[in-house]
Amino acid sequence: MRDTQTNTAPLLSVRDLSVRFRTGDGLVHAVNNVSFDIDVGEKLAVVGESGSGKSQIALAIMGLLAKNGEASGKIMFDGRDLLHLPLGELNKIRARQIGIIFQDPMSSLNPYMTIERQLAEIVELHEGASRRDARKRALEVMDAVQIPDARARLDAYPHEFSGGMRQRIVIAMALMCNPRLILADEPTTALDVTVQAQIMKLLGDIQRDMGTAVVLITHDLGVVAGFCDETLVLYGGCIMEQAPTLSIFDAPGHPYTRGLLRAVPNIEDPAASLAAIPGSPPSQRKPPAACPFAPRCVDAVDACHLTLPDLDGDGSKRACLRPVEVLT
Amino acid sequence: MTSASRRLKSREFADAAAEEMITSRSFWADARGRFLRNRMAVFSVFMLLCLVVFALFGHTIAVWNYEEIDWAVLGQVKTEGGPSLENGHWFGVDELGRDLYARVVQGTRTSLMVGFVAGPLSVMLGALIGAMAGYFGGRFDQTVMGLYTIWISIPYIIFFVVWQAFFGRSLTQMIIVIIIVNWTAGLLIVRGQVMMLKNREFVDAARMLGMSDMAIIFKHLMPNVLWVVVIYTSLVIPEVIMAESLVSFLGVGIQEPNTSWGALISEGARTMTFGTLWQLAFPAMFFVIAQVSLFYIGDGLRDALDPKER
Amino acid sequence: MLNFTLRRLFAVIPTILVLIVFSFYLMRLAPGGPFTSERPLPPAVMANVLERYGMDEPLHVQLWSYIKNIVLYFDFGPSFSQKDRTVNDVIAQGFPVTLTYGFWSAIFVLVCGVPLGIIAALRHNGFWDYTMTGLAIFSQIFPNFVLAPLMVLLFTLSWGLLPGGGWNGGQWQYIVMPAIALGTSYMAGVARLTRGSMLEVLNSPFIRTARAKGLPERTIIIRHALKPALLPTLTYMGPVFVYMITGSVFIDVFFSTGGIGQDFIDGAYSRDYSILLGLAILYSLLTFALTLMLDLLYAWIDPKVRSSMG
Repeated sequence: MRDTQTNTAPLLSVRDLSVRFRTGDGLVHAVNNVSFDIDVGEKLAVVGESGSGKSQIALAIMGLLAKNGEASGKIMFDGRDLLHLPLGELNKIRARQIGIIFQDPMSSLNPYMTIERQLAEIVELHEGASRRDARKRALEVMDAVQIPDARARLDAYPHEFSGGMRQRIVIAMALMCNPRLILADEPTTALDVTVQAQIMKLLGDIQRDMGTAVVLITHDLGVVAGFCDETLVLYGGCIMEQAPTLSIFDAPGHPYTRGLLRAVPNIEDPAASLAAIPGSPPSQRKPPAACPFAPRCVDAVDACHLTLPDLDGDGSKRACLRPVEVLT
Repeated sequence: MTSASRRLKSREFADAAAEEMITSRSFWADARGRFLRNRMAVFSVFMLLCLVVFALFGHTIAVWNYEEIDWAVLGQVKTEGGPSLENGHWFGVDELGRDLYARVVQGTRTSLMVGFVAGPLSVMLGALIGAMAGYFGGRFDQTVMGLYTIWISIPYIIFFVVWQAFFGRSLTQMIIVIIIVNWTAGLLIVRGQVMMLKNREFVDAARMLGMSDMAIIFKHLMPNVLWVVVIYTSLVIPEVIMAESLVSFLGVGIQEPNTSWGALISEGARTMTFGTLWQLAFPAMFFVIAQVSLFYIGDGLRDALDPKER
Repeated sequence: MLNFTLRRLFAVIPTILVLIVFSFYLMRLAPGGPFTSERPLPPAVMANVLERYGMDEPLHVQLWSYIKNIVLYFDFGPSFSQKDRTVNDVIAQGFPVTLTYGFWSAIFVLVCGVPLGIIAALRHNGFWDYTMTGLAIFSQIFPNFVLAPLMVLLFTLSWGLLPGGGWNGGQWQYIVMPAIALGTSYMAGVARLTRGSMLEVLNSPFIRTARAKGLPERTIIIRHALKPALLPTLTYMGPVFVYMITGSVFIDVFFSTGGIGQDFIDGAYSRDYSILLGLAILYSLLTFALTLMLDLLYAWIDPKVRSSMG
């Protein structure tokens, strides 16, 4: 979408990405024909409910889908398609070019290795750093993510840290090689609200200082608001709306986005009732033939149940036959 | 009191709520369906039934009694004592000239009896103690758990040997000592299940109705952990048969002239060097058939009953 | 660490004392002592015999000296049935034998079981995976007392490769079959457990993290997966040791190794209570020592336990 503005290729370009899982009950279509670009230093949010396939996009980019998962389409990074890269080549990109922050800091760290080892092994591997240099780098990065008294805690084990501190360590892990892109998969979900804010501020600072591009995957629109330039709304594995974050909040184009925003508590008007979106997430047994949100959409017409609309529009795009502004 | 709250406090409701847990008819019906679809398990049940029939009625077609010595073949067991249709020793004779067929029938009877009496009884004992430990908690639970830890770290052979040395050898003593040794069977998992269940509404309801603790345990909690007990029993029975066989093999189990698979295998193994291999082959075959069948039945039950397996 | 060790010891010591006291009373109160089984002795001779074994004194005095001798001098007293032989003689003669092949058997269990389980997990649903499943079923069906005769049948009687029993000062040929017959079923158990925990670890989030770092698969397995995958195996080794001690009694008897298992069984036959209970206490001490060692090893490996020990 940015290619209208500049001619330089985007940092990461995802085209027609679909992810399917073979399960005991048949195929599950988790992600369907998703396309988006990220430029150098850009901040993109991918928003959706749990089960919308948002985490699977990040895992597909890293080549980390579960064994029964299969991705199709194209994920171009540096002119190479990550989906068809041999594991050895992909390993050179993981952590070094693309870092990932997983959502659960409790289980994402190896409980049997010291923090220092888990951080240092990354630069030892990718930069051939000596053990001493790697340790120094680990200390630097731990300082950068503001872990107090980092030097003394280098040789501690994950269980000796609080949840927020562990999330910082997971972030530090993603930063070890100064990657060009960071995929942050629900980085704050497991944390208290106050800690959430700290972590988001930290991510923002790092992003600004290092110019890293960030894909922030979250279900929490509140987290997105102050952070991302561009937002992509996912439902049932399909992109519903893609727009600059501000316009998403000001004028949501897709009825689903509007529903999502109504489900977020509003501080200025606490009396306003929270509107839950009626119905439940779609079954993903079949590839969608119609708008996946139609069964829950109050504005749906017959056509909505029959056709799958394209992502369409200038600047802010939505995949909808009856976008919000048409209705009002 | 409204009719709704009266309904909530009625005994019928407490019972119904308990029923509605996993004891519901559909749970067992579903489990039966799943089990019956498992061909290997169903075939194993058939094999086991054959063994039971063999143990119960096998002696009626035997030509010889299991204690009787056939003087005609004694002393030339190696040449004359092999399996033969003519002299009625279908499985041959043992080292003392006794009919092996009749002895295998007797051994099957003993081994199955030990397995199917001592196995379920020990699981029931373990489940009861486990349920009480889980339900009452506190000091009782601590004592039980302490005993459990010590108990499982003592090799069971010690109990058998010492017990048999002091109280003699007989089938009854055998079953008693097996139950004592295995009181820990299923204890931990039942305890865990009960600890989980005891905070459910239907237990509170029963308590409010003034049901006694033991009544709650028996009427409401035990039915809900029945599936655990069933799985455990299927695992313990082959273990018990194996333990009985081992100690009988060592000569501290069942006493002559009564016999069991282990005792027969032991005799067969001892005379193996003389070339009378049938003495090892027939008891070992029956033992192996029983173990294979029990293995697949246990497997089938676990698949059918364990919620985690679904 | 020291603290932890001491705490464990404090739990073990009373247990052992209770065991000794219990054993002692059992021994003295049991029906039919070692000297009553034959023709009744003349009262004078009887008194003489009793005095020789210190049995004329009040029970609590006897108990005190029994405990004192065990605790201070590790002396289990004289044998009742074998003249001029003490329980310590029996232990000194047989215990090294049992420990030797037991040690090699444990090595066999770990050295074969662990890699087999890991390979089966890495080649999930591959050749080694099915081999292992087959082995697991095989070991359930052929416990050591069926396996050992079969091995002797093949390796000794048919092929003449290995001696079918005896010890001969512990030459390797005499150790191979006892060690393998004793260990096979536990080897299969270790393999199955290792496979299960390896599969679980390989699917855990922190392994995904390791993959996201770009580490090669081999590094991930060795550096990240091995330790957590082996911890459950380590826990399982406790029960394995306990079962192996039971198995060693059978091995001692079947292979005539001259290990303490034979003396234990003989003690039961001849109602030689001092040997019987002395060895029972020794077996218990051995299991307690082994489990304590395992606990310490576990605590040393697992940082969570290590730091909670203070």
